[in-house]
Amino acid sequence: MDSQTTAVPELTLGRINTPPAQTWNYLRTNDVTLTVPRHSRAGDVYFALPRLFEGIECGVGPDATAWVESQASDARYVEVRAGERREEPIVVSGMDTGVMVRAGAEATVVVCMPSTDAIPAGIGTSGSEADGINTSAALVRIIAERDAHVSVLEFVAANEGWQHIESVGIVADDRARIDVRQFFLGAGTTVAGLACSLNGHNARFDLSCRYLGRGDDRLDINHVIRMRGKNGRTNVSESGVLDDRARKTLRATIDLVHGSAGSEGSELENVLVLSDDVTNKTMPVILCDEDDVAGNHGATIGSIGPEQIQYLRDRGLSLEEAENLYVRALFDDALIAAPNTTVRAAVVERATEVLGAELANDLVEALGLDRKGE
Amino acid sequence: MSERTRKRTQVADVDRSLYDFTYSEEGYERYDDGLTPDIVRSISAKKDEPDWMLQMRLAALDTYHAKEMAPNWGPSIAGLDMDHISTYVSPKTKQAKDWDDVPDDIKTTFERLGIPEAERESLAGVGAQYDSEIVYHNMREEVAKDGVIYTTIEDALHDPQWEPVVHEYFGKLIPPADHKFAALHYAVWSGGSFVYVPAGVKVEYPLQSYFRLNAEGAGQFEHTLIIVEEGADLHFIEGCSAPKYYEANLHAGAVELFVKDRARLRYSTIENWSKNMYNLNTKRARVAADAKMEWVSGSFGSHVSYLYPTTILAGDRSSCEFSGITFAGATQDLDTGCKVILNGADTTASVDTKSISKDGGCNTFRSSVVVGRGAANARASVSCQSLMLDDISRSDTIPAMDVRNATANVGHEATIGRISDDTVLYLMSRGCSEAEARTMVVGGFANPVSKELPLEYAVEMNNLIKLEMEGAIG
Amino acid sequence: MSNHLLRVSGLFAGTEDKPILHDVSLSLGARETHVLMGPNGAGKSTLGRVIMGDPAYQVTDGSIQFDGCDITDQSADKRSLAGIFLSYQAPVEVPGVPLYSYLRTITQKRPELKMTARKFRARVGEIAEQLDMDSSFITRELNVGFSGGEKKKIEMLQLLLLQPKLAILDETDSGLDVDALSVVSRGIEAYRAACDGTLLIITHNTRILERLSVDQTHVMVRGRLVAEGPGSLIDDIDAHGFEQFERAAEGTDAQ
Repeated sequence: MDSQTTAVPELTLGRINTPPAQTWNYLRTNDVTLTVPRHSRAGDVYFALPRLFEGIECGVGPDATAWVESQASDARYVEVRAGERREEPIVVSGMDTGVMVRAGAEATVVVCMPSTDAIPAGIGTSGSEADGINTSAALVRIIAERDAHVSVLEFVAANEGWQHIESVGIVADDRARIDVRQFFLGAGTTVAGLACSLNGHNARFDLSCRYLGRGDDRLDINHVIRMRGKNGRTNVSESGVLDDRARKTLRATIDLVHGSAGSEGSELENVLVLSDDVTNKTMPVILCDEDDVAGNHGATIGSIGPEQIQYLRDRGLSLEEAENLYVRALFDDALIAAPNTTVRAAVVERATEVLGAELANDLVEALGLDRKGE
Repeated sequence: MSERTRKRTQVADVDRSLYDFTYSEEGYERYDDGLTPDIVRSISAKKDEPDWMLQMRLAALDTYHAKEMAPNWGPSIAGLDMDHISTYVSPKTKQAKDWDDVPDDIKTTFERLGIPEAERESLAGVGAQYDSEIVYHNMREEVAKDGVIYTTIEDALHDPQWEPVVHEYFGKLIPPADHKFAALHYAVWSGGSFVYVPAGVKVEYPLQSYFRLNAEGAGQFEHTLIIVEEGADLHFIEGCSAPKYYEANLHAGAVELFVKDRARLRYSTIENWSKNMYNLNTKRARVAADAKMEWVSGSFGSHVSYLYPTTILAGDRSSCEFSGITFAGATQDLDTGCKVILNGADTTASVDTKSISKDGGCNTFRSSVVVGRGAANARASVSCQSLMLDDISRSDTIPAMDVRNATANVGHEATIGRISDDTVLYLMSRGCSEAEARTMVVGGFANPVSKELPLEYAVEMNNLIKLEMEGAIG
Repeated sequence: MSNHLLRVSGLFAGTEDKPILHDVSLSLGARETHVLMGPNGAGKSTLGRVIMGDPAYQVTDGSIQFDGCDITDQSADKRSLAGIFLSYQAPVEVPGVPLYSYLRTITQKRPELKMTARKFRARVGEIAEQLDMDSSFITRELNVGFSGGEKKKIEMLQLLLLQPKLAILDETDSGLDVDALSVVSRGIEAYRAACDGTLLIITHNTRILERLSVDQTHVMVRGRLVAEGPGSLIDDIDAHGFEQFERAAEGTDAQ
């Protein structure tokens, strides 16, 4: 056979990002299907993560997680010792990463796509050559022992030539605090799943997810928070801007498992829809198996409210400028949260594509950053 | 502050004697269990139907056998075995226009349920179905004079004036291929109501159909078809109940509602099926320009329910309101909610639901709000509150929203929680017993729905809540 | 040419179904401080909103001139850029937009204020200090979850940042909030010190005016300006209330 093209075999991954409770299949909100490359690792020695990471539920679901594992160049285990305050962020690269944050320790985990030093070479950097779509993926599983404090920062700031799958799984013990900030600023396809299980008592999970969909972007997000221990707190805030022909599906599930007495979970989404060609699907779910709990969720989907528009007009912004302000705000936020120069560079590059060079420059300067970092 | 230990009230099974009485089926015509083309043909032959209806039934039966239930769907209906369900059971009686002509045991049944009394006092017309057939149908003369038709679909099919109308509308809103149990319904449907309100006619009092399933191991498959013409106005009430058996019963009705330009239809349901009932019911309304659809729904009974009344806001400026309450107790797994499809411009939808779970009962609130691309300035709001009365029950909220218009505004909010200790304490400090306090809170919780019902039904609903709560208080 | 910055002439305005302002004429000179008083529901806030260009109100007759131009038909953003600022009684919450992005955007919109980012940050920091604001507010969403006093601070921050030619401060309802009151007073002082702008203060609370030299006081009753006088008119109102003006208004209504 002709071997001039080294076409990578492909695999269709179905039922990615499936939430614990599903609804009418005809609505097509229950899951997403993706075609991904499948590189063979036959003959390579692969060092897997310690077994205890296997049991951690990941947001994209078991099949997709297994695929990422199978494509990862290697596994990387990071341990933050008890009581240690680790300053240097743990940057997740192309490797299947497991992070153990021991009792009372503090750590920051960063996932950024794309970034010069973190783009996984091993994880299918090329999909079907025909359509020139690049595929990347990231997988990180985190164990937070009691009193640990873990910050997770995720950035996807690519362009339409990429499809990216990001899977995160977290378990938290007594009094552990998990802070997650996600910025999905672009990519032809972004599939991001995050699952966090508050196993211990008095654990806390805060998630802020901000996204931007424009052009023909496709975004599929799945958040699953299992509240198992007593007196847990979960606060999930999602907000995004959708324009052009962007399609977005967000599933957010708070599962108040039997035994989670005293727990409170809340989830809120705000979606700004700027075009009639947008498809916005939202599925906020609360599962409740316990009476001494409080769960609530809310969603508002629509254009900028008339009051807000008037307020912004009174301060001199036209309608279009008001809409742009929301997009700029996303990038401002992302830049403020960016932990290092690599991430910053990726965000600025994306901002340049979206807002133009002048505004991107202003973002950087106004925040007192320079492109190369502080 | 120290953690307050909470006393959980023990729960006894509810006294349903009001609904729990049965009469012998002796002398009834009962078709064999299971589903075959022969059974379908016999039902059709018995009704002396036009051929198109028989063909529709047979095609639906094929669809039923061909369709699979989605594997990832809500509560299990594994206990339902169609080979052990008789799809047609009929008392040997002709439909009566006077209660005196209704056989005694059946008449007593409806009297105990208070139907003739309600008819005298507050209804414009009543239909009563016993197992598979309507046994009583009557409407006030003045309403008939306005040209309102309230009859069975069978009778309408035998009337040359109405047969073409039924043909035009029947099965158009809920197609037989909609889902497996819709197909089943169309294969074996029997009984139900046909209502036609001519343009501009406002029916002052409600019409009511009451459905009673007396036979054990049987199914009820009534079809309700209501057409409210332009500018007309109707309130339709359906009530359902059945005595308790250990064998599974099945209710797979279909309700098709056509609300024309500027018309208004209110559809109220108080459902209190016994706890061996699989209630897999399909209801759908199509609402034209400037028209309004109102749903009021109280679900108390059944073992498993799949119930999601659907409103299609097809016309510009059409609107719908949905108020529902679901009460799930021991052995119940009730998957209820609603669907709204906003297609017209300037349409509005408002959904307000409550659910109460106790005694290990399961509630799932499920909804979908779909805003089409053409629904400029559409507004939809969904509010869903769930009350957990103990820690062995379950309450899930699974809404979905699909928005494809930039000027539309969709809001959703849901809360799950329990009766706050502070509230109970406050009421107790003013002299209520704990039981009274809890009943009061639950009653208040349900009030936004019960106040939407006519007085008699609000009273019935409050009694049902009290029954359930008294059971809970022991 | 008059040296009036704002000239409202024979203005009739209201909502679609209800006329509110009747034949209102008002002139504000550059660098002057005017106070608009009147009982609840007199239409004071409406006048502020109509001057700002709120489309909820329609002008049925009369005109509004600002800085030599007729702005009667201009949209609110144009008026804002021309130099009119209206501070809200209850500032609107704008979820999804951090204060930071917002301030930068509205500043950059104004050619006369365009400044380097460094200068901008310094300026915001300076004003924040002046108003005794915590620096962490800057990353929070605009007005979301802020207390009444904090929201007022953010309004004052914008006033000082934008340095408008005309600032309309609608303080009708803030009478009871001592905290908010002191914020506004401080904002007014700083505005006075920073630029030569004109102030129109809408209030029925005279405490806010104690430390201010007022050029002219206007009294509005039932949508009409029924009296005009020097700053000392405020003391008179303080002592006798609005009754005298209400009686006068009855006379006008009867005509």
